Amino acid sequence: MPDCTSIDSLITPYVDGDIGAPERRLVDEHVRRCPPCYSRVSAERAVFELMRTKRDELASVTASPALRDRCEALRRLSSAAAAGAGAAKAWRTRLAPLAVAAGVVAATGAASMYLLTERSSSLLAAELTADHVKCFGMKSVLRVTDDPAEAERTMASTFGWHMPQPEAAAQAGMELLGARVCLYGRGLAAHLMYLHNGEPVSVFMIPKTSRPESVVDVMGHEAAIWSTGGRTFVLVAREPENQAEAAADLSRMTAVVQTAMH
Amino acid sequence: MAWVDSLYRTALRLTHVPADAEDLVQETYLKAFRAADRFQAGTNLRAWLFTILHNTARNRARDRARDTVTADSEVVDRADDSAVAWAGTSPAETPETLLLRDTLTPDLQAAVEALPDAFRQAVWLRDVEEFSYAEIAEMLAIPVGTVMSRISRGRRLLFDRLQHLRPVNA
Repeated sequence: MPDCTSIDSLITPYVDGDIGAPERRLVDEHVRRCPPCYSRVSAERAVFELMRTKRDELASVTASPALRDRCEALRRLSSAAAAGAGAAKAWRTRLAPLAVAAGVVAATGAASMYLLTERSSSLLAAELTADHVKCFGMKSVLRVTDDPAEAERTMASTFGWHMPQPEAAAQAGMELLGARVCLYGRGLAAHLMYLHNGEPVSVFMIPKTSRPESVVDVMGHEAAIWSTGGRTFVLVAREPENQAEAAADLSRMTAVVQTAMH
Repeated sequence: MAWVDSLYRTALRLTHVPADAEDLVQETYLKAFRAADRFQAGTNLRAWLFTILHNTARNRARDRARDTVTADSEVVDRADDSAVAWAGTSPAETPETLLLRDTLTPDLQAAVEALPDAFRQAVWLRDVEEFSYAEIAEMLAIPVGTVMSRISRGRRLLFDRLQHLRPVNA
């Protein structure tokens, strides 16, 4: 009779029915004569059968609609990025100075501490880029405020934050399409939606968080992240195809975004 | 998006926190989309996603210097069977399957949650998500023999815990 050690590795496949006929006979023979191994097989089989019986109930937890939407938006982003793989990588040079400028402001301000949240910058950028795509695509059905005065009141009352004035944004060629308060992580974030040269641009403001400046590529988009005054800002836009145009826009975009930091 | 539910369920078993589980799933999809060109046609796409999920979870744990999965795994892999409190269950006392037959789902869920991480992952991936031993080995970055050993020990720990719940349920 094979000893307990020699059949040890066969017991789980035996219980699972994932074993060849010769090995099955070997285990059958052993457990008939070995009470400890018989007991072990019986216990394991009882749990195996219980788990199979309860499998549907154990697997009844489902992903939230918000998670599903974000993953779907990431998929669409990925497809779009694959289609436009030849686009110029101009946003890095365009947005990096914004982060530097933000760093200067943060360093001269009183609150320059960086409290890293649990989320990595790449994930933050991906999530907000997904939200950027989703919100522009679903603007008509989401609760989006398109009246600038009402948007300003909403942001002030919800976050104690004064968003950029429409006139300042207009000087930089940014037209406010709408603003909304959206769920982010365990709290709320402000989402300002602009058109810039006909392209959608988002500025997110997440209160009570700080993180280091960075510029992150996210599948056809780039996200500039910076923090000041205990708030984190993320600017999301598609990578432009025209590098000269991007360089010309830089100073105007900087002015608007710095306004948004106060 | 066909597997977002099962990825989320498994992420929840790994993180225990819904918001962290959602982060993990999103990061998994993000990595998968970025690495789509490295996916080998003909292999199991669902298993590939689960492998990314577990790799990401391990990296996060390492980054936080709280690698409970690895520490837990080392401990349980060193443990011998005598440490698993299933001994003393005589088949003559009670037919095991009948003993667990009326187990309530919340009790089973609680028992699964109470398992050490390494055992819970192996049992969950096998008995709920129904992956093969080889696929689980790839996901958890451990040998196939270790996968089977963890499933076996995990099931016996579950049996022991549920067996003791029986008088309460009865």
